[in-house]
Amino acid sequence: MKILIIEDEKELADNICRYLSEENYLSELAYSFDQALEKIDIYQYDCILLDLMLPGGDGIKILEELKKQNKQDGVIIISAKDSIEDKVKGLQIGADDYLAKPFHLAELSARIYSVIRRKQFGNSNVIQLNELLIDLPAKTITVNNQQIALTKKEFDLLLFFIGNKNRVISKGALAEHLSGDIADMLDNHDFVYAHIKNLKRKLADAGYGNYLKTIYGTGYKWEI
Amino acid sequence: MGNMSKLLNRPLKAFILYALLVLALSIPVYHYIVDDIWHKELDEHNEILKLKTEDGLNKLHLTEAELLSSIQLLNRLEPGINISPANSLQVKPDSLYTVTRENEYNKLKRIDRFRGLTTYIKVNGKPYLLTVETNVEEVDETLIAIAIITIFFFLILVGGFIFLNWKISKQIWKPFRSTLNRFKSFDLNSQSNIEFERSGIQEFEELNNTLKKLIEKNISVFKQQKEFSENASNELQTPLAVIKSWIDLLLQNNTLSKEQSEMIEALNIPLSRVSRIKKNLLLLSKIENQQFAAIEPVVVSEVVNDTL
Repeated sequence: MKILIIEDEKELADNICRYLSEENYLSELAYSFDQALEKIDIYQYDCILLDLMLPGGDGIKILEELKKQNKQDGVIIISAKDSIEDKVKGLQIGADDYLAKPFHLAELSARIYSVIRRKQFGNSNVIQLNELLIDLPAKTITVNNQQIALTKKEFDLLLFFIGNKNRVISKGALAEHLSGDIADMLDNHDFVYAHIKNLKRKLADAGYGNYLKTIYGTGYKWEI
Repeated sequence: MGNMSKLLNRPLKAFILYALLVLALSIPVYHYIVDDIWHKELDEHNEILKLKTEDGLNKLHLTEAELLSSIQLLNRLEPGINISPANSLQVKPDSLYTVTRENEYNKLKRIDRFRGLTTYIKVNGKPYLLTVETNVEEVDETLIAIAIITIFFFLILVGGFIFLNWKISKQIWKPFRSTLNRFKSFDLNSQSNIEFERSGIQEFEELNNTLKKLIEKNISVFKQQKEFSENASNELQTPLAVIKSWIDLLLQNNTLSKEQSEMIEALNIPLSRVSRIKKNLLLLSKIENQQFAAIEPVVVSEVVNDTL
């Protein structure tokens, strides 16, 4: 999968690149408006990460250019701007998702996964992972042809892991994903443990391949 | 509205009072002038009567006895004329006077005023004292008539004032009201300046221009503040995002001990808090700038229940 990272903060862009490379994403970088314009003109990407505040121009114009050229690349806006108006504007112009900085890399990865799947598979969006069959639109999961009932949060968690295969995901990242913004107002993130425990149990009962691993009690990993 | 009254009612009150004063003053003035004119007329009249009498008697060429009886007859018949013989030593210059006395013939009217002339005439070479008195219009009647007419005109004036006041006020306040309405419906958030209707009135044009400048300034300050708080917040985001990304990457390292992993993981909580605080500050400043238009009452118990 080809990813274009349009971000002027080099450190951040490089880190994203590193994180994504583990998941077989091929990332390219653009640090300025002009660089970005060049890249999108020449190449096609599965997903573009777009920062709005670029030196040399407004990121929104890149998005508009993509739409003008009728490109099908998925676009996730990553921006420091967090207001509702900015989000709405971005989505209206045609972005597929909007993620406000600062974010966990795991969250970014999960969203990229989601956008790409939507773009590529649309309605027949079914993920096959060995004995697991996940029907995204229907929000159901079948293990060894046996359907399991997962709660919304558990299903969400499962997708989150699948979007971050073989990466250690911190409890913090999981907590923020599950509870949204208010995770930082909680004293600890132990509630994550409860959900993970339930998910593990349900999957184990159905006989899955034990991919969900606990790492040192501080995080989890979907090893597959 | 309390003690406030409409602006144009104030000059109206002043005008009415002034009119009242002037018209009230006019009554005695009229009275005095009319009286004065009337007196002069009467004096003239009395003088003519005197000349006529003197002339007439002289022309008749009467004898002494005839003259006396004529005089007696005249005194009897002609009200207001009285002739009596005088001797030359008594001759004095003319004198004019006013006197009031009871009306013999009309007891209903209490008193009459008379304008009199005392003079000396010569008939057949002999001096005679002639008193001529002519009735003056009654004081009361003149005064009452003048007063009634004046009051009548005063009422017409007041009625006119009030009507004109009402009519003019509708017209005159139009540009002011238009300005006031535009002002009321102005929204600082919309960031567009106010447009005032042009009026032909100098004071309102001045008001409008000053207001416009004030609002422009206001909008620019508001914009600046908004931009400032947004920029500050955005600048903070980037280093935070970088830190977060380093933590996420660090956790991937499989040579970390359990203790080390726990410590790195622990960084997430305060980091999130910083981000949260920054978001709250931005939100607070937006609320204070009243960037949010709608205010809704929130039922706290419902929200709590929903969350649980």
